[in-house]
Amino acid sequence: MAGRALLALEVPAQPEALRSVRGALTAALARSGVGAEDRDRLVLAVDEAMANVIRHAYGNSGTGRVRFTLSRGRGMLRFRLRDFAPPVDPAQVRPRDLSVCRPGGLGINFIDETMDRWCLRPLPRGKGNVLTMCKRLRPGGKA
Amino acid sequence: MNDCKVELDGDFALVRVSGEVDLSWSQSVRKAILDALGKVRNVGVELSGVAYIDSSGIAALVEGFQSARGKGQKFSLVAASPQVQAVLKLARLDRVFPMVDSVAAARA
Repeated sequence: MAGRALLALEVPAQPEALRSVRGALTAALARSGVGAEDRDRLVLAVDEAMANVIRHAYGNSGTGRVRFTLSRGRGMLRFRLRDFAPPVDPAQVRPRDLSVCRPGGLGINFIDETMDRWCLRPLPRGKGNVLTMCKRLRPGGKA
Repeated sequence: MNDCKVELDGDFALVRVSGEVDLSWSQSVRKAILDALGKVRNVGVELSGVAYIDSSGIAALVEGFQSARGKGQKFSLVAASPQVQAVLKLARLDRVFPMVDSVAAARA
């Protein structure tokens, strides 16, 4: 893992796991000096990413697991989600036009607006997918 | 504590939502809103006690809003918490929903 590890979790790919991940991530970001407003945005982005894994990668099957790590290095916070689901086509995971008011499809927009960069890639030989999201820290350690 | 209660009063229904609205139960919020819209002409969704909301919760609100608009019903968000307002703004929906400060304003 790049940088210093701040948090490492492995949870079932189930909606009921989201709350505990948010709690652990909020605490880890607070320990790292990230302010409340930035923290809320980052927690939302990670929550949306994990919800997408549950809903789309695992197809709401209630099976599978997600490994989440948060690390800090080179002035960046790095959020990494690794699943063991069938390969996801990164070309299908894109923000949508927010000028169209319709339910659904907002999660990727939240990630895209919050993070400085993110990348989704399927692992070789169908061994899952990895989503990496990076947020640059401002001077003083703030996100 | 996650909770969603519906208070019916004549032609008005107030859906009181509190807690953390995420994928684990946002479908219950969606159902409560749509059920209320099936019973009365004016629905307010009270959100002052919502400490967290994700895109699935926002989708439930959008669906209610669109259903009401399609049938000529009144629909408003009541006393949305700062957390809800921040996520609505992120979704560029903060100026789409009718937002009011009080139940009385929603009922009027």
